[in-house]
Amino acid sequence: MSTVSVRYIVDDVDEANEFYVRHLGFRLEMHPDPAFAMLSRGDLRLVLVSPVGPDHPGGGSRPMPDGTPQQPGGWNRFMLQVPDVDASAENLLREGVKLRSEVISGVGTKQVMIEDPSGNPIELFEPIRPEARLQDS
Amino acid sequence: MTTDPLDALHLPLVPIEPRPEFADALLRRIEARPGPLDRQAATIRYFVADLDASVEFYCRLLDFEEELRPSPVFAMLYRGDLRLLLSVPGGPGAVHTLPDGTVPQPGGWNRMTLQVADLASTADSLRRHRVVFRHDVQAGVGVRTLLVEDPSGNPVELIEPTAGYHERSNR
Repeated sequence: MSTVSVRYIVDDVDEANEFYVRHLGFRLEMHPDPAFAMLSRGDLRLVLVSPVGPDHPGGGSRPMPDGTPQQPGGWNRFMLQVPDVDASAENLLREGVKLRSEVISGVGTKQVMIEDPSGNPIELFEPIRPEARLQDS
Repeated sequence: MTTDPLDALHLPLVPIEPRPEFADALLRRIEARPGPLDRQAATIRYFVADLDASVEFYCRLLDFEEELRPSPVFAMLYRGDLRLLLSVPGGPGAVHTLPDGTVPQPGGWNRMTLQVADLASTADSLRRHRVVFRHDVQAGVGVRTLLVEDPSGNPVELIEPTAGYHERSNR
């Protein structure tokens, strides 16, 4: 059983579902509430939530006790391994997906950062030195 | 020329019909073969300000294990089937700095969600270690949740399922 998942805050759960299913091969597991959906791709479970009010039964996207709302964005992200990151980046660009970075080469991987419709980052990476241990970043 | 020592026994070759479940299990095992790049694990990258403090936080308080720390700006940790990469932004190499000079920052709201067996005792332990709470234990649908921060201000969500709601069947 997987005991880990990733939660992303999105502006619009339907729009995000469509993005992750269409462009990144996720499967929609459940979407029981307009502000909540659970998707999966391999070992990764992705929970998408949109900000809700303090009295909403779902707790994952309520404001903090001091009223601070939760928002999309930032830099922390999940990563997806792809066989050919250049090809993936090209395809996604053609499909209209926003790239936050060019394809860049680290020590152990080539990677590109893309954004979902709410501006959340996703990193696609291709191992380029399998015989070396991943040394960078 | 190499010979197989078993040839001398003249064992008959018996065709075996592999059961699909056996093949699936074998495939899963092969795919789960450890190795920093091959291991199939959900992977997350967090940006941190202080690598040592972060590794200490995740390993001591949240049951991660350190897999690699090859440089002062990068570490790879595991917790079950989660692989967590910690990167210090703007450092040597600075591969994550964007072409326009933008340097990644810790923080934000997107986060890993870690399941724990006893959220109340986890909360007590984290509180004793003066971990910053964004919110205390609260009830959601099917889970109780707690949102804390790592030493760089990155959110980490801890959940305890209620009544098996979040159990995920083995594929």
